[in-house]
This record gives sequence, structure tokens and C-alpha cells, in this order.
Amino acid sequence: MLRHYFEKVINALEKFSYPTLKSRPLTLIHEIPILRTEKYWNKLGRGEIYATKCIRCNTIYYPPQIDCISCLTSQHMKWIKLSNEGIIETFTQVHLKPQGFTNCEYNYIIGIARVPEGVKVMGWFLNTNVKDVYIGMHVKILGKITSDNFHLIIFEPYKGKPLNKK
Amino acid sequence: MRPVGIIGVGNSKFGRRSDATFPEIAFEAVKEALEDAKITQKDIEVSVVGSTGTRLYESYPSPSVNEYVGLADKGPIRVEAACATGSAAIFTAYNMVSSGYVDTAIAIGVEKMCEVDTPTTTAVGGRANYLWEFHMFGTSFTAYYALFASAHMSKYNTTEEQLAKVAVKNHHYATKNPKAHFQKEITVEEVLNSRVVCWPLKLYDCCPISDGAATVILASEDKVKEFKVEDPIWIKGIGFGSDVNNLTRRGDYTSLSATRMASEMAYKMAKVTPKDIEVAEVHDCFTIAEIMAYEDLGFCKKGEGGKLIDEGETWIGGRIPINIDGGLKAKGHPLGATGCSMIYELTKQLRNEGGKRQAPLNNYIALAHNVGMAGQYCYVTILRR
Repeated sequence: MLRHYFEKVINALEKFSYPTLKSRPLTLIHEIPILRTEKYWNKLGRGEIYATKCIRCNTIYYPPQIDCISCLTSQHMKWIKLSNEGIIETFTQVHLKPQGFTNCEYNYIIGIARVPEGVKVMGWFLNTNVKDVYIGMHVKILGKITSDNFHLIIFEPYKGKPLNKK
Repeated sequence: MRPVGIIGVGNSKFGRRSDATFPEIAFEAVKEALEDAKITQKDIEVSVVGSTGTRLYESYPSPSVNEYVGLADKGPIRVEAACATGSAAIFTAYNMVSSGYVDTAIAIGVEKMCEVDTPTTTAVGGRANYLWEFHMFGTSFTAYYALFASAHMSKYNTTEEQLAKVAVKNHHYATKNPKAHFQKEITVEEVLNSRVVCWPLKLYDCCPISDGAATVILASEDKVKEFKVEDPIWIKGIGFGSDVNNLTRRGDYTSLSATRMASEMAYKMAKVTPKDIEVAEVHDCFTIAEIMAYEDLGFCKKGEGGKLIDEGETWIGGRIPINIDGGLKAKGHPLGATGCSMIYELTKQLRNEGGKRQAPLNNYIALAHNVGMAGQYCYVTILRR
């Protein structure tokens, strides 16, 4: 009983705020160059996910990059379209949202899926109950540009014939 | 490389420190360390400040810290390695002493995280990989570790109860540490019933957002003698590891390869094995992180971390007491301070100054494990009396 009382006092003290000065606000909005990955961002709007592949050493890069770290060249990269399906390797549902996503009305589900090309893609489950998501789940993967002009990758439960292993 | 001794340690009170600025908090830790070493600022040759600084109002925090603590002319460097920043500061200071460049160095880890609101501090953390992850998917640090928790639970049948037991243990030991953020015992039921932050991690699976500072003073063997340090603790091994930033480029989500790399290096350098470690501080920013650390550091087999906490082996009296100062989970995790705070606790333990939370020691060998981000950085430090 006494301990309970002390805990209440400690909690109250923790929330007690001392005098402070409010700092002048700082706003940072970056203009991020996408000249070299423009195709990736544009293709998302058409539902497609692109990676890059070095034609010299066959390394596939996802997220895409135009510089090959094995060959140290930038001239031998080609764009390849990834399959629109994959297998979920892990996932979480975000309840406490960071600044930038606090207006999101639902608790979004982030997953990572392996695609047949051997690389892995991060995405969101939309319109899927978290109880229906599991590791090993077969998903359809779609790129999207939202109405507020943000790029997104969406996972949906896969309906149709089983995944082709390439 | 010369032997390097720890001659003084300090740790501020961790918590929501709206009573003080970050240089003022740093002063608490520096003062304690200088008094502990029985030296003054004049005896220090170089100061390495570790602060991620990402939530501070100062863009470049090191000069204001060094000036405030009386080391203005000793501070040419600030280091950053996300949540492993404190260890990066010690690593830098260690190398300067060990190489013979200087004879004494101080590592000052300091962070203030509570001056901005929670969604902002969550975003600053989540923007660890802005372009390819946060921008599109709103990742946060809890989300990153939740991805590991889901995979670990699926692959090894690790349970939410086992994760909860880590929180219960660390909260218990925090009640024996007056400097810890939390001072309250919790139960497995309370953890399981706490609100979900990022499934499967709930509020009590997560470390708090804390302010704090910790300091470690290092010296060469000659200086240890010159200062007549009664009980120096020696750094016998420091290993480092790192990994890709894109989580989609990781092999799997049940282990941190940076931990395995760093620990292998540290064990080899210190000429010890996991079995020799008698007390450890491991990086438990989330309960799943402690379970993975048990396995990746070799304290149990891969996949058996849940069993190790079930059997109580990481409590005092068990095979290897872990995070008996409350850990990041309950002591708090002011990013820059954490690595130095781990060394603070282990130094106290190795000197038998652990008080109510003293681990029984025979050979006096201890290990600190500090991860940056979700395994992008790792340092493992092995100490010996």
C-alpha cells in the first residue's frame, strides 16, 4: 500500500516539468536527387518494381543503385523488372507512428518479402488484417503513387497459381 | 599496442531530465569520473565526446560539452555510431592511448532525447534509412526490432512471455540502481497487457526515451602507476562489427552479424571464450535484442535465448548475470551515454562495488555489448581486473 503511494509520487515527479525555454523552430525539407534512380520511382506509379543488374558480374541491386560495388563501374548497369510476387520473411504492425505518419488513420503493417530474383522488397499490407499475415505467406507486390504524391509498395495475399521459383 | 586501464568512471542520473541541459548532465558524469580517478582536467590529454546529437538544439554538441566540463582545449573530436556512440567514443579514446599517441583520454557519452516530442524522437530514430525505408514505409526503431522479433518467434518458437521475462528481470535490477530511469518492478502479465507499440513488441518490451551522460577515463600502464590507481580495470579486448543499412539486404532477421563479428574479435583479442564471462551488459534496447544477444555472443546456442531467460540463467545466481543495472530497458538508453554507462557498471562490478546488485565473481572477467541501430554497428568490449 505504502509502496503504491510512493510509486504514485515518483510518477507524478517524473511528469513534473521544470521551467524551460522554447527553441526557435527549425524546418528541414530536403530536395533529394533521383536523377540516377528516376526509373524506379516512375515505374512504381505503374505498379512495377525495378532493380538494377550489373551486366558484367550479374549482381542485382535492390534498392536500385547505378554503381556496382563489385566491379566499381557505373556504365554496365541495366534495369530489370522484379516479379510482382514474393514470400514474406518478416513483418510488424506499427501502432506508435513517427512524425510524418501520425496522420495515418490505421496501424500500418510493414513486411519484407523475398522475390524470385533473390532480392528482398519492403512493403505495406493495405486492406489486410494483421491476423491473416504470416511468415512464409505468398504475396502479390504492387508499386503505387498515392494521391498525396508519396511512393509506396503494397503487399496483398496472393491469389492464383503458386509462385514460380526462378 | 599498449595495455589500457580504466581509472575513473561516472554516470549521471538517467531519466527525463527536464531539470538540466546536456552540458549540465555531462558535468555530473565527468565530475564523478574525475573524483573517482582522483585526478583533475589538467591530467586529461584528450576528450572524445560521443553524442548522436540528433535531437539536440545544438548542431555541434561537443564544444559546448567540453567547455562546460572544463576540457575546452582538449576536445578535437566528436564521434557518432547511433546507439553505439558511447562505445565508439571509448574505442576512439582506447586507440589513442593504446597507440601511444596520448597517455590519458576521457570518453564522454551524452544524449538528451526528451526535449522534443515523442513522434519527433520516433521519426529521428526511424529515419535511420530515410530514402529507401522511412520515406515510403514509416519505419521506426521499434518497427525494426519488431521485424526481428517476428522472425525469431516464427523460426525458434520464442514466445511473448519469454520476451516479457527479459523486461521483468531488467526492471527488477533497475530498482537496485538509483541512477536508473525506472524504479518499479513489473510482472509478466503487465508486460503482456501493455499497449502495442509495434507488434509483437509492447510498451514494456521497449526501452524508455531517456536523457543522461556517462564517462570513462582511460590511461596507459605508466599513468596508472603514476596516479597510484588502486584498482585499475583493464580493457583486454575490443571488437567491432558492422552491417548493411538496408534491412532488405540482410540475410535473415533472427541474428545480428555485427554482434557475431565484434564478439569473435573481442574474444580472440582477450583470449577468452563466452564461458569465461562472469557478468555482462548486453544491448537490450528491446527485449528481443537481449534474446538475440545471448545467442550471438555465444552465451547459449542459436535459438535458445528464450530458454536461457526461462531458466533464470541471466539473473544473479544464474550462469551469467546480464544487465543487472537495469539494462537499456529499465536504466534508460540515452544513445551517446549507453556504451559508457555499460563500462561504468562493469567497472563497478569488477571492483566489487556493485552493492545490492553485485554479481559473484571468481576470475573477474566482464563483457559489454553495444549495438548501433538494428545491427548496423556493434562494439564488444571485454574487461578484466
